[in-house]
Amino acid sequence: MTQFKASQGRKKAPLTPWKTKTKKPLPGVGSLNGRWGYFAIAPFFLIFLVFGVAPVIYSIYIAFFKWAPMEDPEFNGLNNFIFLLQDSDFWLAIRNTFSIWALSTFPQLFIAISLAAILRNKRLKGKSFWRTILLVPNITSIIAITIVFQQLFGREYGLINLLLGLIPGVENIDFIEGVIPSHIQIATMITWRWVGYNILIFLASMLAIPDELYESASVDGATKWQQFRYVTLPSLKNTITFVLIVGTIGGLQVFAEPQQLNAEGGSSKQFLTLTLFLFNQAFLNNKYGYAAAVGIAITIIVLIISAVNFWITRKISGEGK
Amino acid sequence: MVGALICASVTAGLLTVPAKGVEQVTLTIWTFGEVIQPALQREYMKLHPEIKIVPIKNDVDPLHQKTILSCQTGGPADIIAFETPYSGYWRTGNRPKCFQDLREMKTSGTNAAAGVAAGLSAAEIKKNYLPWRWEQGVAFNDSVIGIPTDVGGLQVAYRTDLFKKAGLPTDRAAVSKLWPTWDKFIATGQKYVSKLTPAEKKAGKAFIDDAGSIYAAVMNQGTVKYYEPNNTDAGKLVYKTNPQIKTAWNTTVKAMNSGIGARLGQFTSDWNIGMNKGAMATILAPAWMLDYIKKQAPDTKGKWDIADLPVGGGNQGGTQLGVTGYSKNKQAAYDFLTWYLAPEQQLKVFKTYGLFPSTSVLYDDAALLEYKDEFFSNAPVGQIYTKGVLQLKPIFEGELQRTIDSKFGAGLGRVASKKMTSEKSFALVISDIDKLFKN
Repeated sequence: MTQFKASQGRKKAPLTPWKTKTKKPLPGVGSLNGRWGYFAIAPFFLIFLVFGVAPVIYSIYIAFFKWAPMEDPEFNGLNNFIFLLQDSDFWLAIRNTFSIWALSTFPQLFIAISLAAILRNKRLKGKSFWRTILLVPNITSIIAITIVFQQLFGREYGLINLLLGLIPGVENIDFIEGVIPSHIQIATMITWRWVGYNILIFLASMLAIPDELYESASVDGATKWQQFRYVTLPSLKNTITFVLIVGTIGGLQVFAEPQQLNAEGGSSKQFLTLTLFLFNQAFLNNKYGYAAAVGIAITIIVLIISAVNFWITRKISGEGK
Repeated sequence: MVGALICASVTAGLLTVPAKGVEQVTLTIWTFGEVIQPALQREYMKLHPEIKIVPIKNDVDPLHQKTILSCQTGGPADIIAFETPYSGYWRTGNRPKCFQDLREMKTSGTNAAAGVAAGLSAAEIKKNYLPWRWEQGVAFNDSVIGIPTDVGGLQVAYRTDLFKKAGLPTDRAAVSKLWPTWDKFIATGQKYVSKLTPAEKKAGKAFIDDAGSIYAAVMNQGTVKYYEPNNTDAGKLVYKTNPQIKTAWNTTVKAMNSGIGARLGQFTSDWNIGMNKGAMATILAPAWMLDYIKKQAPDTKGKWDIADLPVGGGNQGGTQLGVTGYSKNKQAAYDFLTWYLAPEQQLKVFKTYGLFPSTSVLYDDAALLEYKDEFFSNAPVGQIYTKGVLQLKPIFEGELQRTIDSKFGAGLGRVASKKMTSEKSFALVISDIDKLFKN
């Protein structure tokens, strides 16, 4: 209440105090006429400048050079970009990245929403316990995950092929050499790692849905499924968009999982992702300039996706009609 | 990053140790696999309490990338291990400067009691080592950038129990006679596979773990791989014309098509399990792999033996240890290396871990020749590998050897998984390598 009063009182104060002609400026912060703020935010911007902006500008610069480590860069014009557009590996990497993204994001959405709906249940015992263990995969090392999943997905002795072998007529699936099988393996690792995080996000937004809505729905005779379908899901619209955007960003960065399966992305580059492609150009093939060009191409792809995302979000939230 | 953290914590730890009058030195070694043996490391630290040895392990390729970066920026490593396929990279261009020229170093005499005399430069210890193996650590400007730790030495490890079951001879001399050529090796494999029951075949059992491994074996039996010496640092690229490549490729494809391979990629979890389950009757095993087999499949003890490689003379792998150009402890690092890679220590490493010595002075030493390994049916492994190593011819290692090798490996992988025909896959390998030299 006092806070409310204080804010009421503040309303009377002018919005731009430095423009009002007070006789004596207050000592301290006031005497700097508000410029104090710049000092407060300077550390972030300095660090951002050094570690964020500068490397970006520098990488744009070196994208026009042919440059191997420990050798002098040599101006290469637009050749890196021309070569990139003709490089079949680049297009393969785009295909793989989006395939892995789709295979990990959509099942993940489905699992996360279903499990969150279960966790929301008021009669569930040991809520904190379930919520905590859901986050455990998220803090597990990717390398460790890959080693374990490789054993699960092993062609000859993996647990998954062992189970599939129980079905008559099913051959062992090669989860490394096959294109879609290898994508499924990687997508499973990503899903396993991130689904808990998404469950918590969905749970939080489900808990924010007022109970009255469910109460009135049940008064109207809605079944549990109908409540979920017509009350819960529509209220999750924005959260779904958020999870999709975060998932897309993550999906474009998939690197460690395929790298651990095979540093070159498989014998026919069947699971070479964009970031792995970039990394390999710089550190396996020693082409710093070309790798920088790949980085720019990835940036452009991200920009396009962000624009599409932005457009979809506006559509969904009904703005800009 | 982790390395830096470890180093930081180690240095911090040392600072709290009260000085004992002697200056404490920490030697950071960037290494992989079993290059630095813990037992010998402890032995050296006991000999020299003032020296602390901190090995930091990486996989071979990430280690190479780390080495390149640290050469440009400086780093914490005093000693770095680099594998032979990468030696061509470090020997050419302006890259030898990343390592200290060991001809300029002299042993200090701190290990005189342990058999390393004072005042020895790399030029003076050279005579202990196998000459062509030593050259792999010598840059094209003649500076010595690394001392060889071991020779890959490749032979065939085979399962006597499985051979017996298939009606094949089990005696190592008789087995070696089965395959004077690669074609005979493949024929033996087919004979073995034909004796397998349908159930065994369905369970993925076959003659050799991975038919793809034949490629490297055949390549290393030649004298030229992808680069031909032409009196320049870089050498001449011959990956399109060298007939040895086609021979190795065709032999491997033939082996794949004949169905003798279990298609278990080496060092995968399937391979480890398959070793225990008898999924393969043979492995083309470099000396350093013997220890791996022992660790992964301890229950198969006594069921293995070792025979000669078809044609004779095989090599795979091998490592150099070099002192970094930016190291602040060059003297201590050099003293450690000269001790660690001296014949006495290499013999110990061979007996405990199976890494075959690069010091040729040992090759007529009874201690090496008479050494038998219980795990491999008391096979005289020392004698068998020595014989193979002495048949080897030096091969010119070029700058991108490892990368080119991996392209051929991927190409054979496509053939093995029947994703592409041999011709198509070979053409893709060549165009993939072409790409390496563009941009």
